[in-house]
Amino acid sequence: MSTPLPDLLAPDGALQVQRIPRPRTRGRARNLRIWLPACFLVLLAAACFGWPLVYPVPKPTGGSILNSGLPPLSPGHIFGTDPVGNDIFSRILHGGQVSFEVGFGVTAIGLVVGGLLGMAAGYWGGIADAIIMRVLDVLIAFPALVLALAIAEGLGPSELHVIWALSFFSVPAFGRIARGGTIALRGQTFMLAARLSGTKGWRIISRHVIPNIAPQLMTFSLLGVGVAMILEGALSFLGLGIPLPEASWGSMIAYGQQTISASPDLVLIPSAFLFATVVSLNVLGDALRERWGVR
Amino acid sequence: MAVAEELRPGAHTTLTRRVARSPGARLAARRLLAAIPVLWGVTLLTYVVMNLLPGDAAQELLGANATPAEVHQLEIQLHLNEPFWVRYGHWLGGLFHGDLGTSLASGQNVTTILGERLPVTGELLIYAFVASIALAVGLAVLAARKPNGLADRFSITVSMTGLSVAPYVLALILIYLFAVRLRWFPAIGYTALTQDPGANLRSLTLPAAAIGFPLFSVYTRLLRADIVEQMQREDYIVTARAKGMKPWRILLRHALPNSLFGLITLVGLNLGTLVGAVAIIEPIFSLPGVGAILIQSINNHDVPVVEGIVVVFAVVVVLANLLTDLLYAVLDPRITYDEHSAS
Repeated sequence: MSTPLPDLLAPDGALQVQRIPRPRTRGRARNLRIWLPACFLVLLAAACFGWPLVYPVPKPTGGSILNSGLPPLSPGHIFGTDPVGNDIFSRILHGGQVSFEVGFGVTAIGLVVGGLLGMAAGYWGGIADAIIMRVLDVLIAFPALVLALAIAEGLGPSELHVIWALSFFSVPAFGRIARGGTIALRGQTFMLAARLSGTKGWRIISRHVIPNIAPQLMTFSLLGVGVAMILEGALSFLGLGIPLPEASWGSMIAYGQQTISASPDLVLIPSAFLFATVVSLNVLGDALRERWGVR
Repeated sequence: MAVAEELRPGAHTTLTRRVARSPGARLAARRLLAAIPVLWGVTLLTYVVMNLLPGDAAQELLGANATPAEVHQLEIQLHLNEPFWVRYGHWLGGLFHGDLGTSLASGQNVTTILGERLPVTGELLIYAFVASIALAVGLAVLAARKPNGLADRFSITVSMTGLSVAPYVLALILIYLFAVRLRWFPAIGYTALTQDPGANLRSLTLPAAAIGFPLFSVYTRLLRADIVEQMQREDYIVTARAKGMKPWRILLRHALPNSLFGLITLVGLNLGTLVGAVAIIEPIFSLPGVGAILIQSINNHDVPVVEGIVVVFAVVVVLANLLTDLLYAVLDPRITYDEHSAS
């Protein structure tokens, strides 16, 4: 036992629990956990969306078969080319656009639709709550991938349809969190005061509920973006994601799978980008959660 | 009701009666009854979703070159021309007799298909679960022993990696490293357990790692955070310390059992989401489990096979969550699930 017994007793006689040493990362280092991933994400997004506009890169599609299968660091093709001769660097940039759009699109739909449904269910309760939550429960209990697959299959492969299909993952998840947060707030004194002073329901939600559950929803959103990016690739693996010749990081990995033993770069390069992005999102989400005291 | 039973002549407490009246059995019965509408909803939703897809199985099976007459004939043969409710009613009626119908694509009995493929998926999932839980408990205890120590930093890094890596990326990297380069494990294929237990385990190790590593990361993170929090603020930990108990013993005997509750809940919840992981990982390793046939059947609009797989997984999820609740009662005697005493 490291702490001698008398130390457990504070001067006023109250029991004090041995405190865990604070992490050595304090002050600036702690800020670094927020700024480093945030800057990386902003730079990466700027590169994906801006680079092709200001700096000429080869087209991501319609490459010449004569250039097929070049190794990385070939002249003019920094990451090499894929089996049909498309420049991989260019496909990474354009695929990044698609990945970011899918990730943020799916999360935005979940945040708005799921968040509003969850808050309404949590705030008013009653029959609306019962109906909304049962529907969300069924969506959560049902293997969502089957639903997403069926929707992607029914609508046909395209980026927008992938976003719709993946929203069936994000809406119920956000709905649950928003509802839980709202119910926890409902008993608070300031909520009661607002209600007693005759404030309308939607005004209470927009002025009191949203600001209070925003940190929770925001940190969860960051995780959600990463999950959506990964799931988009999963749909590509099943042949229902972003259709060729378009690219996304996930679909590049899925198509690279076929030639993994001959040219692993086709899998490793987009995987590295996907992994770095999702790690950044998760670290950023964790750091913000810590700073905002979200449990 | 209970009174009526007491008054019944000749009623004496036999073992079966005692089991039947135990809170656990009552809970199980109640939960199983409550699960029936949920399961029914899942089968209906599957039928509706599969029915909303454009085209039908006859068209998918015959391909784009089939004439309308051919398609129509196959539709009649497969009873696809009957209204939706009639088909669903037939299927549901069969379910009560334990008959899951026949595959539209192969004409095989769905029960037979599941009987062949479920053991593979089951073994894979059990392997992944047992390995990830065992490793997670070990690492979390090591990490929580000294927060911010070396083991703790390692656990945080590893679990962050596992949370961020896509399972299919992990699978491909594992194949490239351990199958293509090092040749320690077979890249694809499956050897039955009865054929050669060693080869069976080897053929399942990489897919189990791809499914299990993300689970392991989630569990480690949760368990570590929970144990650290308990060690920090719970009174019984202070008591144990005050009476001079060894730190390791406090950790293993007091903190860990309490922290296992959160882990058990999470494991129960995770089971349902694993259908997706199985559907992606199994085809990558060419495992003859339910994952591959699920995707194929969705593409073929083979409703009975999709239904069969969805129902089996839904039943497993319901049973797993029930088991979780019963385990709670075993682990914590204060939880009784008695509706009369609940305030």
